[in-house]
Amino acid sequence: MPESARRRPLLVGLLAIAATLPILTLAVRALADIWRAPAILPQQLGLRGLRYALSTGAGVPEAVLNGIVIALLASSAALVLGWPAARALAAASGRMRRMLTIALALPLLVPQFAVGAGLAEWFIRLGVSDTLLAVAIAHLIYTLPYVVVVLAGAFSSELLELEEVAATVGAGPLQRLIGVSLPASRGALATAAAVALVVSWSQYGTTLAIGGATTTLPVMLVPFAQSDPQIAATLSLLFLAPAVVAVVALTWVLRP
Amino acid sequence: MTGATLRPRARSAAPAVVVLAVLFGGALVGAGWRSLQPQSLVRDRAPSLDAWRALLADAAFWDSLRFTLQYTAVATVLSAAAALGLATALRRAGRPVTLLAAAPLPIPHLVVAAVAVVWLAPGGLAERLLGILPLDVIGDRAGVGIVLVYVYKEVPFLTLLVLAAWTPAVSEREEAAAVLGAGPAARLRHVIWPSVCTALAIGSLVVTAFLLGALEVPLVVGPTRPTALAQYALDATRTAEPLGQAQAAAALLVAAALATLLALALARLIGRADA
Repeated sequence: MPESARRRPLLVGLLAIAATLPILTLAVRALADIWRAPAILPQQLGLRGLRYALSTGAGVPEAVLNGIVIALLASSAALVLGWPAARALAAASGRMRRMLTIALALPLLVPQFAVGAGLAEWFIRLGVSDTLLAVAIAHLIYTLPYVVVVLAGAFSSELLELEEVAATVGAGPLQRLIGVSLPASRGALATAAAVALVVSWSQYGTTLAIGGATTTLPVMLVPFAQSDPQIAATLSLLFLAPAVVAVVALTWVLRP
Repeated sequence: MTGATLRPRARSAAPAVVVLAVLFGGALVGAGWRSLQPQSLVRDRAPSLDAWRALLADAAFWDSLRFTLQYTAVATVLSAAAALGLATALRRAGRPVTLLAAAPLPIPHLVVAAVAVVWLAPGGLAERLLGILPLDVIGDRAGVGIVLVYVYKEVPFLTLLVLAAWTPAVSEREEAAAVLGAGPAARLRHVIWPSVCTALAIGSLVVTAFLLGALEVPLVVGPTRPTALAQYALDATRTAEPLGQAQAAAALLVAAALATLLALALARLIGRADA
């Protein structure tokens, strides 16, 4: 145990409870078929929540698939658009840097449901509302700023010098990108992709406003949160899974 | 090719900025147009302010606005105070303990709200363990459940921002002040607070803007009346009232205007931090 943890057992204990309580609660609640008050422990364990999630009529697998496709679309587009913007942000200073930061941050600050409802107005007119593509385009408002900010951290002066060295030995733009820039910023790219995937996967307000029948897991989860805690807990664990996978994958990619 | 030509220029950001401007600007224009089209969802008519008049005359809207501002302010202030305290406790705690404190960050707000229901609803686990809860938490009119969920989620975020600003140079100044006889309160007021307050203020503004417009937490743990502002708009879209969609758009524009004011304040703060 680190010395700091030995010196602060109460603090570490409280933090450990705060960190693990949600997942432990969800795991037990998802497996409790019967758990009526005032019982402290479940009266009957079972898989009713999981059976519901896998049943054909519930639409959970479709919602999961929708969420995955939307997140992949919104994240890949954000990475492609965000790469040059991140280079510009990293190199900018003073007023230009401030303006770029505000341009990126402003959409994040405005309520998601407001942005979704406003975009829905156009998507209905264009005849693309209630499609995976429309929801992914709307999610781009949230994935793109995060990708730019994370990637900007990778564009250090060392990377620019490496690119310049490659250019002096005759490497073209594509060769520099594939041979130097992408490998050198592998960690930042993985982090940006993970953050974008989780941000899109977790969107509620925009998806609700635009998706219509194209539902995702968070939209499906809300009605169950108070009416059926076991199904809500099962769907919450499914909802949490990508964040857990992202953290594990990042830990692996970013290992020393 | 010379090295200088490889240096990125600001115009490289143009595709991303244009896409964001088109989507974000389009969203605001779309909501604005909808708020001026109270009678028809399909065919445009002459713009009318009927929905805005109905919104401003609706007592439920003002209740929602007051309620939203109230729980947003309480949750932000509590989170900022707790983050300052936690950062103070964590500043020499080492990386593993800091990572433990940051663990709630990737958990979605909606999942935390679902967990809050399991623990804090009437007949929930907290009541079973303690016998009785001193106050209603889930669905209460004061928004206690909403505040608790937000404090749990936002404290780690703000703590990390404060710790990032609490550089070794700040710790050195703090130690120098201690050597010169400054007590803990004086060190907090004259050394630590000036160093971390900008980071805490920036984070608090971001939290405030998010809380003002977020929908899922109030939907799960909030009361049915008064509702959060975004929930008021959602309910308006689901009524059979002819003005519903336009009134919802108008309410959302009010929330967007509040968030934009916060963004302007944020820009000033970032400018001050850069200077």
